[in-house]
Amino acid sequence: MEVGQMQRRLVDYTKSLFMEGFLDAQFLQLQQLQDESNPDFVVEVVSLFFDDSEKLLNDLTMALDQPSVDFKKVDAHVHQLKGSSSSIGAQRVKNACIAFRSFCEEQNIDATLRCLQQVKQEYYLVKNKLETMLRLEQQIVAAGGSIPMIELGF
Amino acid sequence: MELMKSENIVQDRQPQPQEEEEIMQQEEEEEQRFHVLAVDDSVIDRKLLEKLLKASSYQVTCVESGEKALEYLGLLHHSSPASSSSQHHHQGHKVNLIMTDFSMPGTSGYDLLKRIKGSSWKDVPVVVMSSENVPSRISMCLEGGAEEFMLKPLQLSDLHKIQAHLLKSLPHS
Repeated sequence: MEVGQMQRRLVDYTKSLFMEGFLDAQFLQLQQLQDESNPDFVVEVVSLFFDDSEKLLNDLTMALDQPSVDFKKVDAHVHQLKGSSSSIGAQRVKNACIAFRSFCEEQNIDATLRCLQQVKQEYYLVKNKLETMLRLEQQIVAAGGSIPMIELGF
Repeated sequence: MELMKSENIVQDRQPQPQEEEEIMQQEEEEEQRFHVLAVDDSVIDRKLLEKLLKASSYQVTCVESGEKALEYLGLLHHSSPASSSSQHHHQGHKVNLIMTDFSMPGTSGYDLLKRIKGSSWKDVPVVVMSSENVPSRISMCLEGGAEEFMLKPLQLSDLHKIQAHLLKSLPHS
């Protein structure tokens, strides 16, 4: 596949992620912060997000698995995940966290377990999407092309 | 670079006169740039903030907790910066602005704010950041002496507010 085709595929794919709500404008901020002095900035931040999130999801799973659930602790973890997903523009993960926190407040064990499943699902979805997008970028760069900047109408 | 074969810890060799001049020039240039101390327990937010600030050519020091910030400022043991003899060479450097997250375990952003405002660093502007838009929290921080309260995630467009505070902090004779 030639570079122009790959670039068009990347642009379409990235746009779809915004359209489907996986990513929001904050992700554009990340891309805008990337420059020649730090060409791997987005990859680095996204990798940090993956590591951080997986640890938090593990902590959440353990916390909700306790015979007596410490909802304050659960809420603290969700707050962290909400913050980091918001910082990178992972909108659906962030929204799932917001719902999660309201059930933590109610100390509703069934609802919070469902929320955890929901957050995990959204996380793995966006992880997959981001990895695909970054792979497409890598292929373009490897073929000598440049990453096109996304122009969004909204 | 050759691998060090020696078991001994390698000491930094003394800089040559020309290098010394370069080091001094670098330090002078650093002194001319604004220096921001950024405090946040989130590794992602620290990275973002650092990039955002460096994009404006500010010098940035990131720490991961309120305690680390107090340590950096020489306030950890209630001693003034001048009297605390720390090994850190950066203790001599100025700080033009402190940006801190509000919700941090241990010493919170608000605790840090109060400690700073009650110390010899009280004239350094402090900006408190939070992902939550809670009016009572905002007024508490502003009443506590914060110059500004900013919502996370910070954007490039927020930089002008930061610059305004830094310009205000310039020393006047």
